[in-house]
Amino acid sequence: MKLLLYLGLVLLLVPVQTTLLTHVSIWGIKPDLGLVIAAVIGLVAGELEGLLVGLTVGWVLNLYSAGDLWLSLVTTGGAGLFAGLLGRQVAQVTPTILCIGLLALSLAGGLVAAFSMKNATMSDTWWMVQSIVLPQACFDAVLGAGLLWLMERRFAVQRWKTFDRIF
Amino acid sequence: MWMVNVRSPHGGRRLALGLFAFFLAALFLFPGQSQGLLEYLDGPVGQLVRLPLEAVSSLDKGISGLWGDYVALQGMAEENRRLRQDIEWLRGQNNQLREAAASTERLAALLQFKEQALPAMVAAQVIGRDASNRYRAVILNKGDSDGIQPDMGVITPSGVVGRVVKTTGATSVVLLVTDPNNAIAGLIQRTRDEGIVEGTPQGRVRMKYIPMLSGVRDGDRVVTSGLVGGFPRGLAIGTITGIDKEEGALFQTAELAPEVDVNHVEEVLVIQSPQPQSVEPEAKPAGGGKSRP
Repeated sequence: MKLLLYLGLVLLLVPVQTTLLTHVSIWGIKPDLGLVIAAVIGLVAGELEGLLVGLTVGWVLNLYSAGDLWLSLVTTGGAGLFAGLLGRQVAQVTPTILCIGLLALSLAGGLVAAFSMKNATMSDTWWMVQSIVLPQACFDAVLGAGLLWLMERRFAVQRWKTFDRIF
Repeated sequence: MWMVNVRSPHGGRRLALGLFAFFLAALFLFPGQSQGLLEYLDGPVGQLVRLPLEAVSSLDKGISGLWGDYVALQGMAEENRRLRQDIEWLRGQNNQLREAAASTERLAALLQFKEQALPAMVAAQVIGRDASNRYRAVILNKGDSDGIQPDMGVITPSGVVGRVVKTTGATSVVLLVTDPNNAIAGLIQRTRDEGIVEGTPQGRVRMKYIPMLSGVRDGDRVVTSGLVGGFPRGLAIGTITGIDKEEGALFQTAELAPEVDVNHVEEVLVIQSPQPQSVEPEAKPAGGGKSRP
């Protein structure tokens, strides 16, 4: 059941990310929904599920992006894994903590992409960091925190942790 | 035998960390093999994702169309769309004529003039934008199964849109001309100087490596040179809007206004063979007549 749910999520994520999110972008920046979803799943379902869902989401989304595969896999898979580890280490993960974690992860991924850009001068890289990487990291962080807050309010997150384990 | 109990917190953590480390190692130590392995799965996954992607895209277009046609501007939108199509068509024609006029002068001196034929093209629709913010790319509803391959050029009747960089069975990703990772061989139509046209992170287009002695000026049109890449010669790229001529530099750089508004492009043509099929200059007339020398 849970596996089907994840499959549906991955399939739905592509059209939402590539088609619908362009309408809700702010200053042309849209959030990385894959990163946010992987982190939230890692947090509520554990590091292993977070990692596997993150890797799958990163790979599938990369099929619809001109970006490098390794970066997509590392950032999205890493987000799921680290969120899962965070969920175990921190006594209570609040939306604020997730917000800070996602900000750091998204910023790290964005900085690696900006500095690995070909033919870019220092001013181009700096422009990319302040105009794309930083706003996107803020967007991702706010979206992740909002999603977790909503899940805590509307759904029993504790039940999800034990619901139909896939491992 | 040592086994990991994935249900225990420590077992799950160990397995996850081990998997991640293994994945990273495989990705960095054997990049070609690991990416090749994933590419086997691209086709089926692409076909699977195509269904929701096309459904959402058509729903999105339907809603946008409904809003544009009936709510925002009743009647005006249809007329506007028709006029835009006419303008695009005329721009394409105009550009072809300019290019033909420029080349006619040079080729008139040559006796062996070869007729130009159109390259083979596939029409496709834009169904999405790049999944990340870091690249300026669009997703097309045609892929491997339609004969589209990476490095093929993508155009509209007005001019160059970009280049295919990735394909799945049912879709392809086109890196736009405004992306800094894209480079196209360009030619200034008036002066015949060549250079490299590439995007900037800000979403503009510039032409680099224009010779210092070139008499390039604002308003000059830039077309594809046809020497490298998936484009035939003479497709419009843009118009020069500014020239950067630094003292001591070996080359000039020019800012371009792209011919195609790539942020609003909806239908495109993918060039399958940049080099047109050679036209037989001397077709044998019926009845066994002599062919011209």
